[in-house]
Order: sequence, then C-alpha cells, then structure tokens
Amino acid sequence: MIASVAVVGHQNNPLYLQSFTEADDALKLHHIVHCSLDVIDERVNNPKKSVLTLNESFLGLLYPTESYKVYGYLTNTKVKFLMVTTDLNVKDADVRSFFRRFHAAYVDAVSNPFHVPGKKIASRTFAKRMSGIVKGFSPGTNG
Amino acid sequence: MGREVAESCIDGVIIEMVSAYCNRFYGSKPELAARRIEAIGYQVGHQLIERYTMERPRFSDHLEAIKFICKDFWSELFKKHIDNLKTNHRGTFVLQDNKFRWLTRVSIDPSSENLEASQDSPVLTPEHKVEVTSMHLYFPCGIIRGALSNLGIPCAVSADISNLPACKLHLDFGDNKNFPPRMLPE
Repeated sequence: MIASVAVVGHQNNPLYLQSFTEADDALKLHHIVHCSLDVIDERVNNPKKSVLTLNESFLGLLYPTESYKVYGYLTNTKVKFLMVTTDLNVKDADVRSFFRRFHAAYVDAVSNPFHVPGKKIASRTFAKRMSGIVKGFSPGTNG
Repeated sequence: MGREVAESCIDGVIIEMVSAYCNRFYGSKPELAARRIEAIGYQVGHQLIERYTMERPRFSDHLEAIKFICKDFWSELFKKHIDNLKTNHRGTFVLQDNKFRWLTRVSIDPSSENLEASQDSPVLTPEHKVEVTSMHLYFPCGIIRGALSNLGIPCAVSADISNLPACKLHLDFGDNKNFPPRMLPE
C-alpha cells in the first residue's frame, strides 16, 4: 500500500506531496520524504558502482524503517520522485513501472503552459492520474 | 503515440507570434519584443526537454547533455541533424545547421516600408535581410537555452545568420556567470 508520493524540484523545493493513508500522519510522511532527500544526494554524489549504474534514473530503495520503505527516482532534469510504501515485500520491477508511469504523468503536468516551473503542481488532472496510478500499484502484479 | 500537426501550422504559429510581438504588442520597442519571444522559447525548451529526456538514462556530464541537444533534441525539433559542431574547449560551442528548417521559407518582401519609395527596383541589402530574419531566431535560441538550463547547464545562446539558409548558434557557458545573449542590447 502506497502511503505517499512526492515530487521534489532540483533545488529541493517541494512540487507535489500527496498522502494516501486515512490516518492523520501527513506530517510524519513529509518528514520521511525530507530525510530521503539527503539519501538521494548521497547516492548521486558517491555512486556505488556495484549496486547501481552511474546513470540510471531509478535509485532503488533509499532506506527502510520498520514500517516504511522509501524508493527514489531521479530524472535528467534533477527532479526527484519519492514513494513511501507500507508494504514490506514489493518487487523491484513493480516499483520501476510505477515510477515510469509517475514520470509520464509528471511530464504531462509540466507541459501545461499555465504551470509555472518551480511552483507547486496544482493540476487536478495530475492528482487524479496519480491516485489512479497508486491504486493500480499492487505488489503481486507486474503492471 | 501523440497526435500529429502539419509543419505548416507550426510555421504559421511562429511567424504570427513574431509578427504580433514585433508589430502589435511592442511595435516601438523591438528589444522588448525580442526578450519576450526569447522568454517564450525558454519556457517551451524547458518543458520539451522534460518530455524528450524521459526515456533516457541520466547524463554523466555536460558534454553528453550537449551531444543530446545536438542530435536527439535537434532532430525532434527540426527533423534533421546538425551539420557541424565546433568547440573551443573553453566553454563555447558553435552548432551549425546548413539548412535551418524554420528559416527556409522566409521571403523578403521587396515592397516593405523600410525601403525608400523612390527606388524603382529596390536592392536588398544584407543588413535588411538580417534585420528581418533575426527576429525569427530569438525563439529557437530561447528553446535551446531553456532546454540546457533545465538540464542544469546555464548558458547564453546567440545566432549568426550571415549566410542563409545556414544558421550558426553560439552556446556560451562562461564561468558560472549568466552573460546576456549577444543579440539583445544591454
């Protein structure tokens, strides 16, 4: 179950933050996303060649806590996508395809001429698409 | 995948945009018109580069990003490759396109008001040609500048059209300072 998704710009400014849990722990999810940014910077600046290739967009599992797992994805334009999930046995391939769909929805939202680059994404279509993608993400299937 | 649009529609929109900004919106202030057109190009380039780098792995350095602009990005925009790429290895690149697609159909109207009425057969000076076509170049320069800056490489882009239909774009990366583009007045 995906708890939240976030889009962070290249100056670590938040562009989109959405939680999908009914519980009122939005603040905790924001905090987790914020901490993950440091991990992304570390991964990008000190690449571990044995784990990831230098140029891949999908950064993989950033750090696991006892109840959450955080996955990251970095685009060519230095925009970071983060996904916090409560499910403890997700497959890598599912997360990759999730991020691919996430990226496609992001590109469409940013191509909106009324969207100001650097400001938060205010598009309702994007929010709806993200809910659809999150609902369609289930660890058993290879979407 | 996406829907397609006829190339003549794109030509039409660009020509009308340049003409609207130069003649109607900022008729008496061509420098402002130029800046506006370049800013529009900047935003378009910014957004386009998101879409065109979606499938690719990340670039490992600036040179790869520039090669991407010269090959894939250029062919997506103009449906052809760059003919020549030169660099002085000190932060300046020159992209040369021998048949710049957006300028191939620019015609110089011999009866425009810029020429004196007393001339029977007006001679088109090279300066006049440059003046008429230079306004059309701010948009592509803006696109390239927007694309590079979204990849994290700020630069100044200026164009040189001394022999149409060839077009040379100068990319200047400076030393971390954003120099104003050479085409625009200070």
